[in-house]
Amino acid sequence: MNQLFAIAVNTFKETIRDRILAVIVVFALLMIVAGLWLGSISLGEQGRMMKDFGLVAVTAFGLIVAVFVAAGLVHKEVEKRTVYVLFSKPVSRVAFISGKFVGLCATMAVVLAGMGLFLFALVWVVDGQPSGTVLLAVVMVYVQLLAIMAVTIFFSTLGSAILASVLGICVFVAGQLSQNVLALTRLGKNPVTEALSWVIYVIVPNLSAVDVKAGVVGEQTLAWGQIGLWTAYLLAYVVVVLALAALVFRRKEF
Amino acid sequence: MFRRAVAVVVVLACAAGVVAYQATRPGRAAADPHVFVPSPKFFLDFSPSFRTSIADAYYLNMVQYYGEHLKSGRLESMPAMADLVTALSPHFIRPYSFGAFALTDAGRPDLSVNLLEKGFAANPDDYAFPAYLGYFSYQYGTGSKQENDAAGSRWYQRAAAIPGSPAYLLRLAAVLAGKGGEEEKAIVMWGQVYAGGDKYSRQKAVDGLDRILPKDKAARMKAVAPLQSTMSEKDFEALIAELFQGYGQ
Amino acid sequence: MTTAPALRIIGLRKTVHVGFRRRAVEILKGVDFQVAPGAVFGLLGPNGAGKTTTVKVALGLMRPTSGSVDLGVEGLAHVGYLPENPYFYDYLSGREFLGFCARLFTLDADVRQARVEGLLGDVGLEAAADTHLRKYSKGMLQRIGIAQALVNDPELVLLDEPMTGLDPVGRVEVKRIIESLHERGKTVLFNSHILSDVHELCSRIAIMREGRVVWQGTVPEALADSPTLEDFFMKVVTA
Repeated sequence: MNQLFAIAVNTFKETIRDRILAVIVVFALLMIVAGLWLGSISLGEQGRMMKDFGLVAVTAFGLIVAVFVAAGLVHKEVEKRTVYVLFSKPVSRVAFISGKFVGLCATMAVVLAGMGLFLFALVWVVDGQPSGTVLLAVVMVYVQLLAIMAVTIFFSTLGSAILASVLGICVFVAGQLSQNVLALTRLGKNPVTEALSWVIYVIVPNLSAVDVKAGVVGEQTLAWGQIGLWTAYLLAYVVVVLALAALVFRRKEF
Repeated sequence: MFRRAVAVVVVLACAAGVVAYQATRPGRAAADPHVFVPSPKFFLDFSPSFRTSIADAYYLNMVQYYGEHLKSGRLESMPAMADLVTALSPHFIRPYSFGAFALTDAGRPDLSVNLLEKGFAANPDDYAFPAYLGYFSYQYGTGSKQENDAAGSRWYQRAAAIPGSPAYLLRLAAVLAGKGGEEEKAIVMWGQVYAGGDKYSRQKAVDGLDRILPKDKAARMKAVAPLQSTMSEKDFEALIAELFQGYGQ
Repeated sequence: MTTAPALRIIGLRKTVHVGFRRRAVEILKGVDFQVAPGAVFGLLGPNGAGKTTTVKVALGLMRPTSGSVDLGVEGLAHVGYLPENPYFYDYLSGREFLGFCARLFTLDADVRQARVEGLLGDVGLEAAADTHLRKYSKGMLQRIGIAQALVNDPELVLLDEPMTGLDPVGRVEVKRIIESLHERGKTVLFNSHILSDVHELCSRIAIMREGRVVWQGTVPEALADSPTLEDFFMKVVTA
């Protein structure tokens, strides 16, 4: 646990000091402010435009940060050979992968909190009242990104950082279309393709089961039970994927 | 030294070329009133938040399109846009109302009514839809004036029945019922306005009833008699006092 | 009663698969040697002989294809390692880096603190302790590398080219550290190309060539054959 925590703190220090991160966050804030302009041409729907496009910006930039930083985490250690310093000590591969993930979670929490609070304040100014559901939506974006970060770290143990980041983004998109994959399983007449579609449906994280953003703009009613269940599902998914990543990483030689 | 001078001249020439090219581009061609609007079916399989974002983007597009083409009156793509936005985001209220008025400007009040009915079906708790439908019925209805007024009155009555609706809707319903040849209904509605309203509404109710009730005292009394069973005794007596002021005993 | 060796390597083979077609390349072709506890052991050989690979397999950074490695000490908790051309986390200061390394062992907080400060003094980096590693010179990085290898007070210390990048003062300091480790009964194995240092420090050496140990013995045994250690080394590796 001590090792996990030490690696997590080290990872947090590594990622939070990255200047690229600051640039991306500033850009995201500019995008959120751009939502204000869109609101001005919406004939009185500033609040909705601000919430919708603001959350799109938070999701998009959160995804970019999550995927590109996660993809580089393991790869950088191997490339820069700091793995020699780590694994010549009694550090388990599981503690390494978990510590990297936890450190990145802390960084992403800071990034999303920054963007989320800024959006919350803007929406308050535009709408005239605070919207707690905006903060809830940002929290749910964070939970979704946990799954994507875990998947990206898994891919980074298999191949290059670039491939891992591309695959991470692909999994995010596939996760948004998860329901379509399910529909596909029910259309196939061929039992083999049906079974394969079902396997893909289970493997890809279901990122669209609960839509908090649609709830924020009033298109859906938020059901707390469903949100809780979905969160628990994604956290369990993270545990499984990280376990697989640790398993693959155990076989790696440096 | 010479090479540097040449390099500076080349860069300046390129910069001048860039500016000149941009300055000599022809002005924007007149916007095409026919724009491509994808079918909602394409997006319906996507996740709800994706759909709402697309709806919001097309809503903004709809507003800009209306502004660009209002003067020319060429709003051919407005029905498709309104259909797309409301299909993807059925609880987004503004596109229905904006779309309805925009479609009227496009010469298609029938589509306005269809759009508002679609909105009401998706949002049955929002009084704005039947209220708008009331307006469109009496303003753009295809029947005779009396028929249109009667239809409008019925919509306003539905709107007034929705909790949270403003008081004036029932007054509107009553006025249109009277104009639509449904005096008995109008009398009942004015009675409701009087019973449920403040001083202003009561005055309006008395004026409205005065317009449609017979001048003859006995006939007038007969006409308002049904109100006794729809109002409290106190309200009924107060109403009678005002309606028969100046009629003597 | 003979004491168990601090490190015993028996019949070690290692094959790697390189390139797109996964061509098999045998890096270690049967390495055998052992290091007595408390010895200073030099592992020599030309570039590509397999010295670093041998150490990596001993540490578990690579898996042997066949053969065995026996760490006489009780696991990696009692081993310290300085890699060749070390790279560390450049966003950390020297003190933060040593603190991080210390946390990877099960040491109490006050022991960690004392160890870190002591090591910073030992390697002469107290003044630069709060400077980020990205601003360290090569020599300073080498010294912080030695410090991180000693943070757990290991019984067995493996140093890969510890003198690289050091000026004469730095080299003297590292030699002093190795001597003091020896005086404290620690076992040291180091790879080096600087044969004068090997001559000065090592009690026993092994020379590798093309994935095998081609000679091992004491320094006096080598010098009995040739006038200098360089001559002996050249004779063995070119034979």
